[in-house]
Amino acid sequence: MAVASSLLSTPVTHGHDDADQLYIETRELRVQGFLLFMVSDLVLFSSFIFAYLYLRNTGQGWPPPGAPHVDIWLAAMNSVVLFGSGATMHFALENWKHRNFMKFASWMVATIVLGLLFLGGQGVEYVSLYTKDHASWGGSGIFGASFFTLTGMHGFHVFVGVIYLTVLLLQATAGTYTFSKYTGLTLGTLYWHFVDVIWVVLFSIFYLL
Amino acid sequence: MDHTIVVERTIAIVFGIVVLVTALVALKNDWKTPGLENHIFKLMLALLALGGLLGTLAGIGIIGKA
Amino acid sequence: MAVAAVHAGGIADHIHPEPEGFIRKYVFSIDHKIIGIQYLVTTFMFLVLGGMLAELIRVQLMNANGGFMTPDTYNEVYSIHGSTMVWLVIIPMLTGAFGNFVFPLQIGARDVAFPWLNMLSFWLFPPAGLMLYGSFLMGAPAAGWTEYPPMSLQGQAGTSMWCAAIFLVGVSSTLTGINFLVTLLKMRAPGMTYTRMPLFCWAQFVTAPLLMIATTALGAALAALFVERQFGVPFFDPTKGGSPLLWQHMFWFYSHPAVYIMILPVFGIVSEVFPTFARKPIFGYKMIAFSSCSIAILGFMVWAHHMFTSGMAPFLQLPFMVLTMLIAIPTGIKIFSWVATLWGGKIHFSTAMLFAVGFIATFTLGGITGVFLAAVPFDLHAHGTYFIVAHLHYVLVGGSLMGVFSGLYFWFPKMTGRLMSEKLGKWTFWLFFIGFNGTFLPMHNMGLLGMPRRVAEYDPQFQTLNRIASSFSFLMTFAILLIIINALYSIKNGKKCGHNPWNARTLEWQIPSPPHYYNFKHIPSVFANPYDFNEPLPYRGLEDELTDAPPPVPAAAH
Repeated sequence: MAVASSLLSTPVTHGHDDADQLYIETRELRVQGFLLFMVSDLVLFSSFIFAYLYLRNTGQGWPPPGAPHVDIWLAAMNSVVLFGSGATMHFALENWKHRNFMKFASWMVATIVLGLLFLGGQGVEYVSLYTKDHASWGGSGIFGASFFTLTGMHGFHVFVGVIYLTVLLLQATAGTYTFSKYTGLTLGTLYWHFVDVIWVVLFSIFYLL
Repeated sequence: MDHTIVVERTIAIVFGIVVLVTALVALKNDWKTPGLENHIFKLMLALLALGGLLGTLAGIGIIGKA
Repeated sequence: MAVAAVHAGGIADHIHPEPEGFIRKYVFSIDHKIIGIQYLVTTFMFLVLGGMLAELIRVQLMNANGGFMTPDTYNEVYSIHGSTMVWLVIIPMLTGAFGNFVFPLQIGARDVAFPWLNMLSFWLFPPAGLMLYGSFLMGAPAAGWTEYPPMSLQGQAGTSMWCAAIFLVGVSSTLTGINFLVTLLKMRAPGMTYTRMPLFCWAQFVTAPLLMIATTALGAALAALFVERQFGVPFFDPTKGGSPLLWQHMFWFYSHPAVYIMILPVFGIVSEVFPTFARKPIFGYKMIAFSSCSIAILGFMVWAHHMFTSGMAPFLQLPFMVLTMLIAIPTGIKIFSWVATLWGGKIHFSTAMLFAVGFIATFTLGGITGVFLAAVPFDLHAHGTYFIVAHLHYVLVGGSLMGVFSGLYFWFPKMTGRLMSEKLGKWTFWLFFIGFNGTFLPMHNMGLLGMPRRVAEYDPQFQTLNRIASSFSFLMTFAILLIIINALYSIKNGKKCGHNPWNARTLEWQIPSPPHYYNFKHIPSVFANPYDFNEPLPYRGLEDELTDAPPPVPAAAH
């Protein structure tokens, strides 16, 4: 290209063409940007986690009077369902990297199904808290404030993630990604793991502490 | 009611172990990959393993409010 | 030593075709320069609105027994004044306006990392501002810009609007922070290592993580307040188990780093202005760069110094006091470095330089009163009085706003190709400087004598000082109006000045004014930092920039 030869002083790297070079550079930007977005999302969750721990430790003891007891068994099962979806997502990406579309797609479907099961489990838990203990977001004191806000925010992130993964699967089926250029799939996997990791923290602070 | 709890706890223990092992194996296989993005993946796999462990222990009943 | 990963044939030479049509070029533009100017115009409009609210305050306070506003209205006025100035003026001006326009040029990039995200960031901003002012129609927030519960819980509907508006502008800020950080990490020109970046880029580099991290924490606090007001979710209401102190922790964890967001870019601006108009290298480049980093980090550790009288656990007072005083050290390093830059220089007092030198005087004074306030015993006496109002205006107006004006006079020629009137500029500087000091210096006395802040009526013993302050405030307001008139007039009628009227050395001055949409015909490479006035310019590859040679063929649209 005329451009390359007119740059007398800038080192010019040959070996791949301009489109590849552009892809590599934009990929770096997109991955960095996505990682930073995840950092800010982490700050969002951390702020509410701080609020929960602060409220829990100021004064009235925990659980506060009248607060419902949470179902550890349901939560444990639901948690491993979500963690399992993290493992299946890992397999999905690995299979894409090994150029096996069918296995990739199967593991992706498994991930999406497990994600939906997790959301279902959360729904069951919320309904049970409401019908058995009359627990609600605004009417259950600081328990309601912290528990429903944090698990709700997390559930919303899972919901968005399920849609995101479905879109990625459809795109992969339509040929948007190649076996050497699949940044979107990597970013989706990062997001899904992020949502998983947040749940590790939430599960610990609400059900184990 | 009790039957439900048995199912829940069994799934928690079994899936928990599966996740723990899978995550640790994946971590071991990918240990040497370079780059920030891969380091983040490794960190998250480690935390996933922790999650599997906690799920298993909770299913057994060692931790968590029974 | 990380060299930017941009080579020939990649992003560097990838010139998009020029956008066509008025809408694509000037309204929904993804060009950082246009977005920067959009931010500049919008923030100046909000400066006028916030300034009018300030004058309402000063007129009200001319009489001890009250003026023309009821106390409830007065509360709304100062709450919106503060919210406007922090979130709709200073932060977007320093990051969105100057940040967007200048630093991508300084690092030799064609644009920021995510131009569409940049456009989204901008277009979230005017609606958020309109929402904030719309709150006047439904009972504006009346608990100050800090909106402490329980008062904010009891506020009228406008308080919820405030939550939503600031949340929205916070999203805009967070996205800008991510954008800027990735741009600075990855898109510097070949050869531009971190220690060859201009100091304005360093300033944006350390401000971007603050934008990203701190603003999200504010978003959480605002969301919590909103859902508590609207859905009864008890975070802050003590009768339902919540804690008002929780709001203060969450709010100040953001708002203290926010004040560094409001000053670090200004440190960057004056670090460009001083060497240029003293014709001397900046003294202590690395010290200024690294002290910016330490200010950004320490800034996250001092928030509770706003809460010494709040009833929080007393054992927290000492550590926060000590950490706050520590921030004076890197700040002092910078001030001494700037003064040392001027020492022995051949100083040209352009208007930009006048504002920068004035900045040193007023910001230092504000910083010193800050160290007083860091001392707990003093703060217990001065908290909630006009001493705080004096301190905050010295650092935010005497500091941030004067830095903004310095930047405006400095970079206006780059944006438009014309100079603002230097003669008018000098008059406006002195009017502003005298007006500003006359307004806010008496407030130190008022505060120490015991006048509380946020009151519509006050004890008559303070009336003389208040009248002095109000009178001088009109000078200051008039000066700001003159600056705006100067800028508007000079867009079409200012003296044409070519690409580098100040003979500055950073990259943005080596290309035409205003720059072409693609910034550089060829991305230059850099082999030293730009401040060595004895040496020729440390760039290669700029030969074509000022000629009529066409740019490389834009890549085919894809």
